[in-house]
Amino acid sequence: MAYSERVVDHYENPRNIGSLDKNAQDVGTGLVGAPACGDVMKLQIKVNEHGIIEDAKFKTFGCGSAIASSSLITEWVKGKSLDEAATIKNTQIAQHLALPPVKIHCSVLAEDAIKAAVADYRAKQGHKAG
Amino acid sequence: MDARAPFCHACGTIQPPRAVDHFVRLGVKRQFDVDLRELERQYFGFQRRFHPDRFATKSAEERAFSLQHSTATNEAFETIRSPRRRAEYLLTLLGQPALPADAHTVGDPALLAEVLQLREALDESAEPRAMQRIAQDALARAEDCTRSIAAAFAAGNLAEAGKQTLWLAYLDKLADEIRARGRRPKPGP
Repeated sequence: MAYSERVVDHYENPRNIGSLDKNAQDVGTGLVGAPACGDVMKLQIKVNEHGIIEDAKFKTFGCGSAIASSSLITEWVKGKSLDEAATIKNTQIAQHLALPPVKIHCSVLAEDAIKAAVADYRAKQGHKAG
Repeated sequence: MDARAPFCHACGTIQPPRAVDHFVRLGVKRQFDVDLRELERQYFGFQRRFHPDRFATKSAEERAFSLQHSTATNEAFETIRSPRRRAEYLLTLLGQPALPADAHTVGDPALLAEVLQLREALDESAEPRAMQRIAQDALARAEDCTRSIAAAFAAGNLAEAGKQTLWLAYLDKLADEIRARGRRPKPGP
């Protein structure tokens, strides 16, 4: 199967690879996996006091499409509000990367990961307020 | 009567395979605990009866049926032989699949954190001995997992069986990854 140019670009030059401090109050961590292919994806966001995502990092163990999907979504969420980030749909990622049907689940993983990261951040803030 | 009924009992010609589950196909009990030696015995027995070579001189239809039986028998054997595939299959048969058809991802944080940790350790281990340790660790976990699945099925706790099966799926993939690395040398700096 041939990967699209954009997938290859993200795979060879992944953006925002790495980790943020998962215990920090301003960091939300999303951890999701797809057991069917054994992929596991960690996506983290750092949120400023205005509720804007300042930084995003990922670590993905999986195929090229999974790595490209997570790399792309970290680029997209930077500078976005939490609500905006949570509305990113896997279809947008799949379309941008021209993922073939068998790789659509990789973009689902990225969508679920960002949602989980936003939920984790909000849970932390709620906990602090309560 | 034999639910498989592979041969016509009046004229003895081979019939197309019936829609039976893999356990019935191989004539073993529909349960997680499987006697692997009995499974193999059953498999080889059926494989002999359906082997396409035996039908070389028969009609095109009979040859096609024997091939279908052969394929179905192989598929049943491969599914039941693997603890992970057997558990997944059994859970689906029992109407409680480990991962619902509409869900592609799991969010169990404890499971994923451990998987991530194992994958990171594997990524950072350049020397064969460290990799071997991780491989042994993963294998021991997979065996634990298989025992937990058996216990959960025996207790009728399908939710727990499903959870352990997802774990086993990850451990299987990890083992694949380790095997793949053993074959190709790690690229230099």
